[in-house]
Amino acid sequence: MRFELRSIGTTVQYLLKIVFILLFIFPLLWMISTSLQTLHETQAFPPTLVPSVPQWRNFASVMDNGSFLMYARNSVVVTFSVIALQFLVMIPAAYAFAKYKFAGKNILFGIVLLAFMIPGQITFIPVYLMLGDWGLINTLLPQILPFMSNAFGIFLLRQYFMQLPEDLIEAARLDGANEFKIIWRIMAPMAAPALATIALFSFVAHWNDYFWPLVMTNSDSVRPLTIWISTLRSEEGIANWNIIMAANVVLVVPILVVYAFCSKQILNAFVYSGIK
Amino acid sequence: MKRRTGSILLASAMLTGVLAGCSSNNSGNNGGNAASGSPSASASGSSSPSASQTSGQSGSGEKVTIQFWHSTSGKTGEALDAMVQRFNSSHPDVQVVSTFQGSYDDASTKLQQAIAGNNAPDVSMVERAYVQQFAESDVLADMTPYMDKSGMSKDDFVQGLMGHSVFNDKLVSLPLNRSTPIFYINKKMLDEKGLQVPQTWDDLKKVANALVVKENGKVSTYGLTMPYDTWYPLAMITQAGSTFFSDDGKTVPFVDDGTGNKVFSYLRDLQDSGALYYPPSQDSGSIVNQMFTSGKVGMVFQSTGIMSTLQTDFDYVTAFLPADKQHAEPTGGGNIVMLDSSKHKDAAWEFVQWVETDPQGAQQFILDTGYLPFTKKMAESQEVQDLWAKDPNRKTAYDQLQYAVDTNKSVAWPLVMKEFFSAIEAIMYDHKDVDATLKTFKKSAEDILSSN
Repeated sequence: MRFELRSIGTTVQYLLKIVFILLFIFPLLWMISTSLQTLHETQAFPPTLVPSVPQWRNFASVMDNGSFLMYARNSVVVTFSVIALQFLVMIPAAYAFAKYKFAGKNILFGIVLLAFMIPGQITFIPVYLMLGDWGLINTLLPQILPFMSNAFGIFLLRQYFMQLPEDLIEAARLDGANEFKIIWRIMAPMAAPALATIALFSFVAHWNDYFWPLVMTNSDSVRPLTIWISTLRSEEGIANWNIIMAANVVLVVPILVVYAFCSKQILNAFVYSGIK
Repeated sequence: MKRRTGSILLASAMLTGVLAGCSSNNSGNNGGNAASGSPSASASGSSSPSASQTSGQSGSGEKVTIQFWHSTSGKTGEALDAMVQRFNSSHPDVQVVSTFQGSYDDASTKLQQAIAGNNAPDVSMVERAYVQQFAESDVLADMTPYMDKSGMSKDDFVQGLMGHSVFNDKLVSLPLNRSTPIFYINKKMLDEKGLQVPQTWDDLKKVANALVVKENGKVSTYGLTMPYDTWYPLAMITQAGSTFFSDDGKTVPFVDDGTGNKVFSYLRDLQDSGALYYPPSQDSGSIVNQMFTSGKVGMVFQSTGIMSTLQTDFDYVTAFLPADKQHAEPTGGGNIVMLDSSKHKDAAWEFVQWVETDPQGAQQFILDTGYLPFTKKMAESQEVQDLWAKDPNRKTAYDQLQYAVDTNKSVAWPLVMKEFFSAIEAIMYDHKDVDATLKTFKKSAEDILSSN
């Protein structure tokens, strides 16, 4: 009796899991399927689930576009610069908040958290005007500089550092390591799961960002892939969904690759940092 | 909701823009303007030179770069870029850089923000309904003197498309990619049932209902559809004999005179009987096009702009929108404006003039897309006449322009439009009471209008 109950429970659990997996994976599969269809197939009703002949040339026509490399380069430069700068700022900041005692620490940390809560939609106009005054519009910097510090990252990393034993740092100090060495040689490597998480979140957020680059750039030469994909769509008329979806697949692939590398670390980070 | 917050932000950005505009002449080191102000085409200190921007400048040092912002993407965007290419290859001393800035709404936002940031482009496409808003802030150049110098006249243009061009006696915009809604009909479907193309609302109701096919109690073929847009209700309000805004621009008379109720009750009756498919708001244009091309609906109200991309395996015809008391149709699409902050107005005008008058300019772009010829000369040109002879559907929209109305002309239209969309949603999606919804709309519209 008891055994039966448990097995029913397990079955329900698995069914639910399968339902949720399908729910989340369906749009992705739909996108991939559409990217391999002909224009005619995308417009058919009932919808085409599996293309009769995969149209790989949709991808060729996406990549063949003369500007593709320019947009891809911008996306790569912006995303990786942001992550690199965030690490530079965030790790020492989190270390200070976690391990130092100084006046105004709580207030300063409060300010960091506050920054975490203000959405970009509120700050974009002043930021745009400021960067315009500095003559930086039409460079890649407006997409990088405002994201140099990552409040969420500082918060997550601080929680993580606080759990690392004080003895570790003491031992390092006794061995003559300076603070710089402690941060980069001891704290940072031990926080690898948290850093991987933050890197992934940052990567997804900036790689996929549409709003910020749209408002911060005036010319195509500094725009990322996301904006370029939006130019493939037609306001009026028939949209070439197969081409648009092929472009989206190209956009998503790097995220999947990064996720494949980081996924193990991420779970750990949330478990250790006490956020579950 | 999100959109509304956006527009309030924009309104404040706009205000800043005007203030910043006053001082823009003094500040030297601003972004976009400084870039176009210097002979070098690549933007100030940009670390990323673009091939298209730098290719032309190596020869003569005096080449002027004109920034042109637009909202056309996809096939239309390609046609527009091709037009700019034609200009650049025939004008060695002016280089136009065209940049897509998002949909009409997004681009309008971008433009407000760029004006405030002193890096507005020299020339821009602006959806005609947003022109008043920019004109009122005094950021658009008056093109009258340039026009006089070029020997052009406002009378060269099709009157029905000039409703948003003059503001306070200033010529602030000229037509570019203009469209109107027309009536697309699947002729095969109507013929199979022995039906005629509807001319009036009564006909339309009968035909739309006659086209409905139900399978197991569910509608599988609809009679009529239209994109989720204010355009079509606006057209119908005027067809039913009223206007959207009153002459003094302080109220919305169609609510109290019962026309609003008539229009929406008519649409709702059609919807309830399965004759009208009212699409979801997202991608409604694409959805109705695909329903039409796949034979899921017999008739559609749609923009002329889609005509060149509409591929059907049946013969379709176009007609005027059905009339109630009268024929009426709003116009839409983009106008071209020159920004007052531009430091190269002469070169900017050279481009605008070329676009408006040269057969290789907007005329070719219009042939490539489906937008309306906007000068009489264009309509009479051999190319356009040939096209009309080959495809009479393209002529319908031009002929219909005699009934063009601009009843939504107001500085406050962008704000009122959002309220009107809410009313459409309440009635068509949530089946709220028509009268009560329109009353609510009237109140919020009047609030907006009185504060402007």
